[in-house]
Amino acid sequence: MKTFITLAWRNIWRNKRRSFISIASVLFAVLFAISADSLEQGSYELMIDNMVKFSTGYIQVQDVMYDEEPGIDNLLYYDEALQEVLNRFEGSISYIVPRIQSFALAATDTKTRGTLVTGIDPEQENQFNRLSENVIRGAYLTDKDTAVLLAEGLAGILSLDVGDTLVVIGQGFQGATAAGMYPVKGIVKLSVPELNNNTVYMPLATAQWFYAAPDRLSALIIMPENPKHTRRITARLNEALDSEWYSALSWEYLLQDLLKMMQMDRAGSQVIIYILYIVIGFGLFGTILTMMLERIREFAMLISIGMKRYQLAVVCLLESFFMSFIGVIIGMMVTFPFVYYFNKNPIPLKGEMAELLIDYGFEPVMPTSIAPSIFITQAIVVFIIALLIGLYPAYKAFKLNVINHTK
Amino acid sequence: MAVIKTLDLEKIYNSTHVPVKALNKVNLEIEKGEFTAIVGPSGSGKTTLLNIVGGLDKPTAGKVFIDDEEINTMKDNKLINFRLRNIGFVFQSYNLIPVLTAKENVSFIMLLQKKSKKEMDRRAEELLREVGMADKFDVRPNKLSGGQQQRVAVARALASRPKFILADEPTANLDTASAFNLLDIMARLNREEHITLIFSTHDQRVIERARRVITLVDGAISKDEQFNQ
Repeated sequence: MKTFITLAWRNIWRNKRRSFISIASVLFAVLFAISADSLEQGSYELMIDNMVKFSTGYIQVQDVMYDEEPGIDNLLYYDEALQEVLNRFEGSISYIVPRIQSFALAATDTKTRGTLVTGIDPEQENQFNRLSENVIRGAYLTDKDTAVLLAEGLAGILSLDVGDTLVVIGQGFQGATAAGMYPVKGIVKLSVPELNNNTVYMPLATAQWFYAAPDRLSALIIMPENPKHTRRITARLNEALDSEWYSALSWEYLLQDLLKMMQMDRAGSQVIIYILYIVIGFGLFGTILTMMLERIREFAMLISIGMKRYQLAVVCLLESFFMSFIGVIIGMMVTFPFVYYFNKNPIPLKGEMAELLIDYGFEPVMPTSIAPSIFITQAIVVFIIALLIGLYPAYKAFKLNVINHTK
Repeated sequence: MAVIKTLDLEKIYNSTHVPVKALNKVNLEIEKGEFTAIVGPSGSGKTTLLNIVGGLDKPTAGKVFIDDEEINTMKDNKLINFRLRNIGFVFQSYNLIPVLTAKENVSFIMLLQKKSKKEMDRRAEELLREVGMADKFDVRPNKLSGGQQQRVAVARALASRPKFILADEPTANLDTASAFNLLDIMARLNREEHITLIFSTHDQRVIERARRVITLVDGAISKDEQFNQ
């Protein structure tokens, strides 16, 4: 085997230009494939990161029925027993954000509007999504307040401003009537238009009183110390919680619609990457074919003098292996600095695309992902393509008609 | 006992419209230690005969025996193995492996035979000395002249200790001095070590050295002459 390896290695360098072209083909395939995938994954990661950090959190503990019927009657009971369970996760959990939310009618003397009334722990909520930074008029809430924070769009629709009074009417827990009058303490601008037009924030205790649901929550958002441990913590929480009443859901479950959309979007972009693979594959095949034609007489001679066809095929495969390996390694080395740079300095987006992202509450940037899986997957795919192309000379070695080429 | 024996050997190439009979009932016996030249005009069937006797091609009809073993019915892998252990080849275009040195080229055959490194080194050096290439062990083919490459090819052909060597026009690409040098070496090997040599050739210099000359015309043996030299 050592001689076959030597033979293959030296064969690569006997025609340096040809080998450099082959290696460069693999290198550029790796460069393009990783860059394309990394950009796409980077955008998805940013999107998920935004959603997780500002909306769902990494884990939510909910009433077991809430996921199926997310209404005011399926609120979880946040008692000492539940707190005790969560205390056991000290060290794994960074902080907890409690929320209670349901729909209600918001009214002034002349206007009425359906709204999402969300009860928050002002301090915890601010730690979670920096809500106070979005207050454009008035002040942010404290937990002692009996006032509300109105989303900018809704305030406009209802013609309300700081200091005005809002009437809220809805259905409380288990059929109770929910009604109250609250002064507007501040106006907050939310990025997502839908939320900006219908959100009312109240301190948690005020909202629980409003909904007649003391100690009850829609969800407890749990932020782990290390987001990479989300799945494990979710599983452990589900083991520790009383499954008759509670369930812990990870962001992957909570954002499954978004993930599905990303998968569909990814399927489209995969087609482009496949086309890239095909183009690169044909380029590589061209050089391999030339190499094959150059050396066909040598192959015939080797078989004539007693080299078995499979041994010749092994040498051919080793040559492809070496060239592919070199191309993939150099490709990864060349690509990493680029990808790393754009991960730390995301490409800023401009124009309509940027506005669209801002509207949805996302940063108008396109970062790359430096997830090792991208490098490994793309490198393996290109490597396999190159090896498959390398099978052609090996196949020819098996099929070669010796007498036509030995003279 | 004959090293090579053919019985009613026929080879027909099926060209698109007209079948071409390259060999026609060739019956031939070559004894151990013979130095045989197969001669004839172009298209007379010399190379075809050598290819079939060397197990590179199959006859359309007839049989080929090497040391009483019929080779034309062997499967491809067995035949490759048989060639490796029994037949040495010298080609018109030398056909050395360009990326290996002279010594590695000679050793390569023994490597395929799974000989030990020590034995490969010893025999490769011994053979290269025999063909006058003692100072070129580590030189690659592209740094050797045509004559030197062909001498390395002869050493390679001998490396497996074959029963005979088939040489298809081995002097065709050599200048006179190189051709004489090569023929001297091969004649000496034949004389002193009783290596059986079968050449296909047009070259009068080869014919003059051979002790047996078989003339092929239109695929059939027209003359078979023995000479005492």
